[in-house]
Amino acid sequence: MRIIFRRVLAMIPTLLGVVVCIFVITRVLPGDPARTLAGENAADSVVAKLREQMGLDQPIWAQFWDYLTGLLRGDLGYAWHTGRPVAEDFATRFPATVELGLAALLIGILVGVPLGILGATQRGRFADHATRVISLLGASMPLFWLGLIVISVFYGSLGWAPAPVGRIDDALNPPTRVTGLYVIDSIITGDTVALQSSLAHLIWPAMVLSVGAVAIISRMTRSSMLEVLGQDYIRTAAAKGMGPARIIGGHALKNAAPSIVTIIGLELGQLLGGAVITETIFSWPGIGGYVVESINATDYAPVQAMTLLAAVIYLIVNLLVDLSQGIFDPKVRNV
Amino acid sequence: MRKQRMISAAALAIAVVLSSAGCVANANSNANSGGGEADQTLTIAYSEGGNTLDPAEANDGTSDTLVVASYDQLVTYGTKEVDGKRVSDTATIAPMLATEWEVDATDTVYTFTLRDDVTFQSGKKLTADDVVRSFEHIKSSASASFLYEMAGISTVEAAGDDSVVFTLTGPNHLFLQILPMYSFSILDMDLVEKNGGAEWLATHTAGTGPYVIESWDPASAAKLTRNEEYWGDEPALGTVNLKFITDASNRLQLLKKGSVDAALEIAPKDLQGLDGDGIVVDSRPSNKVLFFAMNNEIAPFDDPKVREAISYAIPYDKLIDDVMKGQASPMRSSVASSTPGYTDEGNSAEHDLDKAKKLLTEAGYPDGFTFEFTLGSGFSDWNDDAVLIQAELAKIGVTMNITNMARAQFLEALAGKQVQSYISRWTSFVNDPGYHLGLLLTSEGTSNYMNYSNSRVDELWKQAATESDADVRNEMYGEMQQIINEETPWAYLYEYNIAVAHGEGLEGYTSYPDGLIRFFQLSKSE
Repeated sequence: MRIIFRRVLAMIPTLLGVVVCIFVITRVLPGDPARTLAGENAADSVVAKLREQMGLDQPIWAQFWDYLTGLLRGDLGYAWHTGRPVAEDFATRFPATVELGLAALLIGILVGVPLGILGATQRGRFADHATRVISLLGASMPLFWLGLIVISVFYGSLGWAPAPVGRIDDALNPPTRVTGLYVIDSIITGDTVALQSSLAHLIWPAMVLSVGAVAIISRMTRSSMLEVLGQDYIRTAAAKGMGPARIIGGHALKNAAPSIVTIIGLELGQLLGGAVITETIFSWPGIGGYVVESINATDYAPVQAMTLLAAVIYLIVNLLVDLSQGIFDPKVRNV
Repeated sequence: MRKQRMISAAALAIAVVLSSAGCVANANSNANSGGGEADQTLTIAYSEGGNTLDPAEANDGTSDTLVVASYDQLVTYGTKEVDGKRVSDTATIAPMLATEWEVDATDTVYTFTLRDDVTFQSGKKLTADDVVRSFEHIKSSASASFLYEMAGISTVEAAGDDSVVFTLTGPNHLFLQILPMYSFSILDMDLVEKNGGAEWLATHTAGTGPYVIESWDPASAAKLTRNEEYWGDEPALGTVNLKFITDASNRLQLLKKGSVDAALEIAPKDLQGLDGDGIVVDSRPSNKVLFFAMNNEIAPFDDPKVREAISYAIPYDKLIDDVMKGQASPMRSSVASSTPGYTDEGNSAEHDLDKAKKLLTEAGYPDGFTFEFTLGSGFSDWNDDAVLIQAELAKIGVTMNITNMARAQFLEALAGKQVQSYISRWTSFVNDPGYHLGLLLTSEGTSNYMNYSNSRVDELWKQAATESDADVRNEMYGEMQQIINEETPWAYLYEYNIAVAHGEGLEGYTSYPDGLIRFFQLSKSE
């Protein structure tokens, strides 16, 4: 418990550093947000008026103070290009991104871990080479290209996938909001209609997004499994006549788990970031497209909020990964 | 289908198990009770979701479209038929919320009589007081206040319940031209104030318009339904769904599959060969123009001969054929050819490298020169145009260095008026040469980023603004265009077409200078 408390405290200076850096970086960027918002046809008086409304006529330290005190009150600022508070925009969009990221991670684990085990146990044989090719392809596949191919083939030609727009079919109501994740919500409320439709919408972008995760998770699993499989206790277990399934599942995988969990944790952060491209291509109403729009509009508040959020997610994931090591390795527990 | 069914089966299994454990109220328990779906529904794909519903602050295509659907204005533009297609007739101002209007002998006092059968979507009756307060809202807005100024409005006062008096600062023919713009929508100000004021308008509507905005999520979609209490003709379409799809190839894909009835902003190359097979490409000239501006205060473009030479070196046909795939037409003057008073007099530019070379020699640059060109991001045709122009200029010894800039940075650089040359586009929402030339090409013009200045042009513009006789006015605008054509502050690149690709059977689409689609005019025959 004390460890957790200490670790959480240690996050504060990191976050403060992030806040300062992000504020300075966004202000240094060229481009006048008021001008961008007003458009090329706008008169100077319009731009001046907007600057005043946006608080850009204030000195930079005053703007920073406003931002910082706002943050402490839980105010993430105002997104000028959508005309809503950032927190409100996040509340509607972030669950979509989380759902997509988690689904992709799940696919990454379900496919990547077995592939890695297969590669390790069949080392040097055909299956190993096949998994190597799969992960090489996965790691080097440009997501936008893969996304367009998937849409063109599975929606355009074969008609298996629903129209690549949104999270649920038009004619349906989104499930009653509990967590904001459509799949979970529709299960909780027993909404089979919504569940069916939201799963069908989710599965394709999630598969596209998972490609990189599959590659990395399978490679990491393979190498850590190989390391473990070479150990004496595995040979001992085999010599005692233990079956291969129990050796791999019970002994090897358990000991390889810490490094696999670490990579999965890091991958979650990656997925939330990589969602930008996938979301744009599948018109997925998540945070990715929103941030791209914000950057194009030099809209400071959403960009700052997103970066801060990303930092928080990384810190939390890191913490969870570190803590989880204790589950697998008793030595860590006593540090 | 097999894959989807497999997934569904799995989902169903999970759901059945869970729902048997007792369930919370769910949103689709009566999902199939759509209630007589005989009404026509239109689904249309837009590239972006818009950013506000406030008529006075909207300035992007999607926001404007939503405003036009849910609000009315005092007056509107007439329509006419040209080559079998319905287009707006901006010279004719037609009644909308006002049935008639009178102007006094000084041309400065306009009295509008309001319809007496109009109720807002909130159920409240429209009164003169709402009109007055709507104009106060416009006056104090960030975006539309400058249009308010441009219209020359001094005061707006109610005269009884059904009559509003506008007093102008002076005679101003732009007044009636600007008034039909979506920015001048009439709002239910009681409703606005009850909800805390103008900020609420960004995400809610308070209009009298033909459609009610049921839902609007800028990230994904909007849903509009017919206003059953509408004072005007009943709109044919019961429901309009807007889908916001960033990726152009996806919009095309959805249209081809029939998931949407119409799609906007499809790339010119994709429009080729799209016509037929159940899809109609309705491509029409617009008054959106593209020009190559040269900064008149930075050498060597301070010499009109040099600018003229450049205008002879531009491969006009290639730009229209290769870059725009025919989805554009030649631009021959500083205003679009559909603008009243348009003339191409004084413009002799065509693609002629020998002539360009000769002009350069006369200007004292027989071996050419090097200049900086700034390319703003965001429009792929600009990029292709710049590269083609660069290649042509190289043939006459002129080196064009292209600097790429993100859009935000580009707009900021333009505002500094120190950019040597650039490409930019312009759409005059108000189809009037005074509006267009005044903003872009007078010395004081707020968008005159290339420092063009000619005292005769400025003088003519001031005179024309107060001239009430349209013919006399257009003569003045004609002379302005002629001077500009001769002095070539811009090389004219092309006039864009606006293309709407839609399924067969969609009728009633009418094009306006603002390029917006009015849903209440549409119907589907099937």
